[in-house]
Amino acid sequence: MTAFLIRRLFQAIIVLVATSVIVFTGVFAIGDPLEILLPADASMAEREQVAESLGLNDPLPAQYVRFVTDAVQGDFGRSFVYNRPATEVILERLPATLELTFTALVISLVIGIPLGLWAGVAAGSATDETIMTGSILGFSLPNFWQGMMLIMIFSVTLGWLPSTGRGETGSLFGIETSFATWDGLKHLLLPAINLALAQTALVIRLTRTGVQETMPLDFVKFARARGISSPRILFVHVMKNILIPIITVIGIEFGSLVAFAVVTETIFAWPGIGKLIIDSINALDRPIIVSYILIVVTMFIVINFCVDALYSLLDPRIRVSAQ
Amino acid sequence: MKCFKHGAIKRGAIAALLATVALPALAADLMIGRAAEPSSIDPQFSRTGNNQGTAQLMFGRLIEQDANLQISPGLATEWNAVDDTTWEIKLREGVKFHDGSALTADDVIYSLERTDEVPNSPAPFSDMVSSIDTMEKVDDLTIRIKTKEPAPAFIEDIGRVFIISKAASEGKSSEDFNTGTATVGTGPYKFVSFKPGESLTIEAFDGYWGAQPEFKDVEVRFISNDAARVAALLSGSVDLIDAVPPADVARLEEQEGINVVSAASGRVIYLGLSQRFDQAPGVFDLDGKPLAENPFRDPRVRKAISLMIDRQLVVDRILGGAGVPAGQLVPAVLGGYAEDLKPDEVDVAKAKELLTEAGYPDGFALKLYSSNNRFPGDGDLVQALGQMLTRGGLKVQGVEALPYNVYSKAASAGDYGAFVFSLGSSTPTSAPNLSSLIQTYDKEAGTGAFNRVRFSSKAFDDALAVALQEFDAQKRDELLAEATRIAFAETPIVPLYWQKVFWGARKGITIDGGLSEYTLAQDVKRVD
Repeated sequence: MTAFLIRRLFQAIIVLVATSVIVFTGVFAIGDPLEILLPADASMAEREQVAESLGLNDPLPAQYVRFVTDAVQGDFGRSFVYNRPATEVILERLPATLELTFTALVISLVIGIPLGLWAGVAAGSATDETIMTGSILGFSLPNFWQGMMLIMIFSVTLGWLPSTGRGETGSLFGIETSFATWDGLKHLLLPAINLALAQTALVIRLTRTGVQETMPLDFVKFARARGISSPRILFVHVMKNILIPIITVIGIEFGSLVAFAVVTETIFAWPGIGKLIIDSINALDRPIIVSYILIVVTMFIVINFCVDALYSLLDPRIRVSAQ
Repeated sequence: MKCFKHGAIKRGAIAALLATVALPALAADLMIGRAAEPSSIDPQFSRTGNNQGTAQLMFGRLIEQDANLQISPGLATEWNAVDDTTWEIKLREGVKFHDGSALTADDVIYSLERTDEVPNSPAPFSDMVSSIDTMEKVDDLTIRIKTKEPAPAFIEDIGRVFIISKAASEGKSSEDFNTGTATVGTGPYKFVSFKPGESLTIEAFDGYWGAQPEFKDVEVRFISNDAARVAALLSGSVDLIDAVPPADVARLEEQEGINVVSAASGRVIYLGLSQRFDQAPGVFDLDGKPLAENPFRDPRVRKAISLMIDRQLVVDRILGGAGVPAGQLVPAVLGGYAEDLKPDEVDVAKAKELLTEAGYPDGFALKLYSSNNRFPGDGDLVQALGQMLTRGGLKVQGVEALPYNVYSKAASAGDYGAFVFSLGSSTPTSAPNLSSLIQTYDKEAGTGAFNRVRFSSKAFDDALAVALQEFDAQKRDELLAEATRIAFAETPIVPLYWQKVFWGARKGITIDGGLSEYTLAQDVKRVD
């Protein structure tokens, strides 16, 4: 296990260094932040002052070396736009994104797994057809269109739910969160559903396929022969076997949801990191872009690691082969 | 007894739970949905439009600017030139900061001193105070300032600096303004809270020296997505939105219970024809080989291209009417506008004549470039221009529209021969725009900072210099107009149109919107 951990850590460092070089050069090549930051009537003197104070006069390698030197000491630079430490700006918005993603994930599991099981057990029936057609709609309709439709129906026409922003946050166990107030929950619902739709469709399909593959297996027949009830076979024995692919995919998808909830966050004006990264790319706020991508890469590394660890808990065979 | 105690504990527990769980929802009198958020609440941190439009809610300045950027006395009531390089400024009596303290000369001197010292400012106000040599407090309400050289527009420059309280902000950083500890101004609203990426909450200040705003508790929500902002207005989540996309204007106007307010902005959209290099990038002869010389260096070619463009058609068809055809840099409400400079009417025959005179009887081939996310319709605009130039006898070899963050760098580096760009106005006169866009590019002297086409005319530069030295405001405007005439006789750039901007409001309220494009809570009024 220790060797496994060390190897993983080493790989992670290489990935991080490679990403930082690629992103740093890439962002450098896109454009000149001065063009975006300065007002149209800025004079040369002001331009020079800004370039100097933001360290934009140095050549690319010098800027990269300075970035790395600071980064290993935990300083990822200050945002050009906000003049605050980049990591602080990102982490300040992370809770909003996490609670949105977490809610979406829960919604997709709570709706997706039962529907998937149902469709799998009743394969070929009208129920199965309906669920499967619904799931096709779930991930083939564009995310932003779904979002706009949700707003049109639930906010504009029916007036049930608010369409923008995070609403009132309260503190629950010392964390500022929307879960703590009714207003916050109301604001959370539409964006979470929007984010969950494609995810739910994916969970339904994974579960259904899993059920269909597992049901004809010998152990299910033996369990039946021993007189174990159908629900118990489905919810205990079959479930155990189909959870591994679901956990793998959900793990990676959770990462994608956090990192790329961009569309949903933009449409619902949700103050999370997805909206931040889009704004920062448009404003060429290099420290934010680079730190954001490094944070996301780290997050993927950690999630993958957790998924691997969960595997070995769920499946003894993997545990044995790892040792 | 026991039972009672139990009940009390239960009630106490519920109360405690409610206290931790539910914060009282503060219903604002006015909810504004704004497209862009400020990068900081520190009013001296950045002078981009967003930040200035936010600072004006809470901070006062020596002079006030109305919605059309025209100036009137603000915290200063009088400014007199004692001699060419000395100004004496009288401050308004009885002005109070939000913390109740009185405004004094010390606060103003402190504010002006801090202006160019805000660390890491991405868009400093440095130019506004660069002409100050020394400042001296005469008494609590009088300041005497010596300038390095004669500066006729001095009050307009320092008048743009937001005045902050010395006691509240000395030794504080920009971040202390975001949290509110240093956010003490003299403006009509007091700071309540700021959540980056989300909202700004403000409350009317009882002790404001000017007229009290109509709405007391105001929340500004930042909703960058156009469709989402419109939906927020339609669903009643907000009362007023800015930057209504031109495509949605007609729909909102038809909608029951919604008012649309429009104003001409100071942002001019223009076609730049680069005179920078001996050969213009993306310009070829009819066989696709590079031309021996740069055709855009000939004013007749530039005029010919201007004559090929049907500005009214562009405004009507591409923008749905959201524009005003332009024949110069600034619109009529700003100082220095030249009344007689009308936008060119389309005249293909005249264009052909000019091209022939210039030695291109059969035209030449060129590529057109534009951004695609900078202003409404920019991607479509360049395609329309392509068609109009083809009709005018040029061979358009393609149009390319790129995201602004990539495009702006390449445009400034001179990578494009013919390109669409825009320039906003944030000053009462045309002087800064003339200087940055078409004055001769000179890195040493610091002129022509955004002169991407590298237009250069000695006659214009001299005329502008004379105008900038004029102390009499009216005379200066006339001189600026004269300089504009000299420059536009040679078509330095091809002006296309000024944008119109739109606000959407629920019935019963309206906003005094203007050229500045600011969405200020104090400008929002109730109507029947």
